[in-house]
Amino acid sequence: MDYDLGTDAVELRKRLRDLISTHIPEGFLGACTNDPKDLATTESFCKMLASDGLLALAWPKEHGGGGGSVWQQTVLREEMWAHHEPRGAQYMGINWVGPALMRYGTAEQKARHMSAIAAGEVIWCQGFSEPEAGTDLASLRTRAVPDGDGWRITGQKVWTSYAQMASWCVLAACTDPNAPKANRLSLFLVPMDRTGITVRPIRSMLGPHHLNEVFLDGVEVFPDEVLGELGDGWRVMREALAFERVGIARYARCESLLDRMQTELGDDWNELPESIRTRWVRALIDLRIARLLAYRAVSLQDDPSAGAAASAARIATTTCDQQVAELLFDVLGPTALDSGSSAALHGAVEDHWRYAQAATVASGTIEVQRMLVARETLGAHG
Amino acid sequence: MKTALPEDIAEFSAVATKRLVRFGGPQAALHAETDDQLRADARTALSDLGAFDLDVRSSSDDLLAAAVLCQAAGATALPYPLVEEVMAIDGDRLALVNPEAPRIDHGDLPGDWIAADLDGTRYRVQPSSRTAAKLGPFLVPATLSPPDGTVPAADVDLHLTLGSWRIVGAVQQCLEITRQHVVARMQFGKPLAEFQAVRFTVADAAVAARGLHELAKYTVSRIESVPAQVRSADALILRLKAGETARLVLRTAHQLLGALGFCDESDVSVLDRHTQSLIRLPVSTEVLAMRLLPGIRDGGFETLFSGPVSA
Repeated sequence: MDYDLGTDAVELRKRLRDLISTHIPEGFLGACTNDPKDLATTESFCKMLASDGLLALAWPKEHGGGGGSVWQQTVLREEMWAHHEPRGAQYMGINWVGPALMRYGTAEQKARHMSAIAAGEVIWCQGFSEPEAGTDLASLRTRAVPDGDGWRITGQKVWTSYAQMASWCVLAACTDPNAPKANRLSLFLVPMDRTGITVRPIRSMLGPHHLNEVFLDGVEVFPDEVLGELGDGWRVMREALAFERVGIARYARCESLLDRMQTELGDDWNELPESIRTRWVRALIDLRIARLLAYRAVSLQDDPSAGAAASAARIATTTCDQQVAELLFDVLGPTALDSGSSAALHGAVEDHWRYAQAATVASGTIEVQRMLVARETLGAHG
Repeated sequence: MKTALPEDIAEFSAVATKRLVRFGGPQAALHAETDDQLRADARTALSDLGAFDLDVRSSSDDLLAAAVLCQAAGATALPYPLVEEVMAIDGDRLALVNPEAPRIDHGDLPGDWIAADLDGTRYRVQPSSRTAAKLGPFLVPATLSPPDGTVPAADVDLHLTLGSWRIVGAVQQCLEITRQHVVARMQFGKPLAEFQAVRFTVADAAVAARGLHELAKYTVSRIESVPAQVRSADALILRLKAGETARLVLRTAHQLLGALGFCDESDVSVLDRHTQSLIRLPVSTEVLAMRLLPGIRDGGFETLFSGPVSA
């Protein structure tokens, strides 16, 4: 038993930190801001990562990836999230669109999309959730009606992150409403500039770009744009999302924020109320556990006995995110609500609190994760 | 990275659990409250398993074996001071105490004792007798000599860590009892396990228990390889989390078992009462948290972003 990430992963962490400190400006809070310079920063950073073989580190070399070990991938996830995801919206293409194409894409689809994703040249969005179908994706209502050789898609997507930035979308639509639930859906690879697609940003407490509505009005799609088999979208979608089942390494940003806040406070840290400092201790302990649960889930990712290991890791990580958000706000007290570059940690604390509110909702709610853990512990009752 | 116990240790764990269950499990611990012979028999069971041949101070394999043995002892509420005897110095059992109110679990057993506080200050001990307490029924108030040298800091850390593994075992066993109960117990025409509130409560306890187990494995796996400052922080972290997880899981177990869980014929009651000494002593989790504060600033409390600590 050992918890050594391996020399290659440790060296990668150092290299990534060097790259980030050199190329990412202080105060960077991700691509989802109103400042177009932030998006430009992520685009140039992705291209630099791509040229170093680091953007698609997890991909096999034959698909233009870096062939990195699972622990290198883990370190990449940790360092990117800890530093406000300087890959911007591109992580979606890297993390699951590319792997889904590897498994289900045609030769033409792979040729068209994979090198562009690996080179950091394209942003994808995910057209799954709908007003009437969030967690229960199999119930979505957007229809693809046969039209000539292809289909016309009509419906509405919601909560679509990065839809304004994206040039491509993996779009889920119902191709056979009379089929069993598992066979109703198909996935399409659709350019976002196609006629009939309208994106409307949703103002939210999370900040710009996180949430959008996408309206689909008779959008034409073609047979060569189907990802996987027709009617097999639900299975492809579930398997594609499983590529990300360990989830975002939120614990890494929390540890980073606590470290930066402690540095910023200096000796004033010792003057914080004892109750705050012991909460700090407990937060760091919970973060350590979240990290260990994530490592356990990673180490079991090809093991059929993994059970709910990934769900346990997600529950621990997402709840830590909110725990640390509250702790840091309580540390700041009267200045907690200040935002922007003059606020604590260049606004990172206020930004974290807002985004942490979605931690237990996005990418599979905590209730779903609890259901999966309960199913493993208690069997399939209920 | 290998996050699973080595195969031989997992096998030893299964053997140890089987032997201690055969000894009688928590119900034997209950009877030991009034029959001292059972504590002698508990020692025999441990001896059969080679417990007292383990060299936890210098063999990492023996330390891992001791950890899973403590886990099995915790799961069965074994009425014997296993950690104290495995950590014995020159044949004297080593107890961790709070000098302000020294209490020694099984301090009335024949044999000599020495005590140390969390700073490693060593004391000679004069145990008194048991008080027939419900919580921690084998606790014995003791009188300490003036400070009498020190024990190595590594001994304190090992003691805290192995004691935490006993708590891990108790936590896992309480969760298992709870699982069995909610699956079998019918209310309003269906098993408790079909009520979503129950399922979510059990899920939260299961995640907590799983997290504690990962932390315990991580801590024991690196105890010999990290700098002393980090090792000491690791041991405090584990003991604090073990205590708080036990409180959560025991509360869950009591809530879901209802009145049954308070009865001594239920293993939850015995596990709860007998594990309290480990959860509360030698110091509260709040004191453990206070002891961790300096480590946050000096790097002893290691994180992804803490600087290196000198070996």
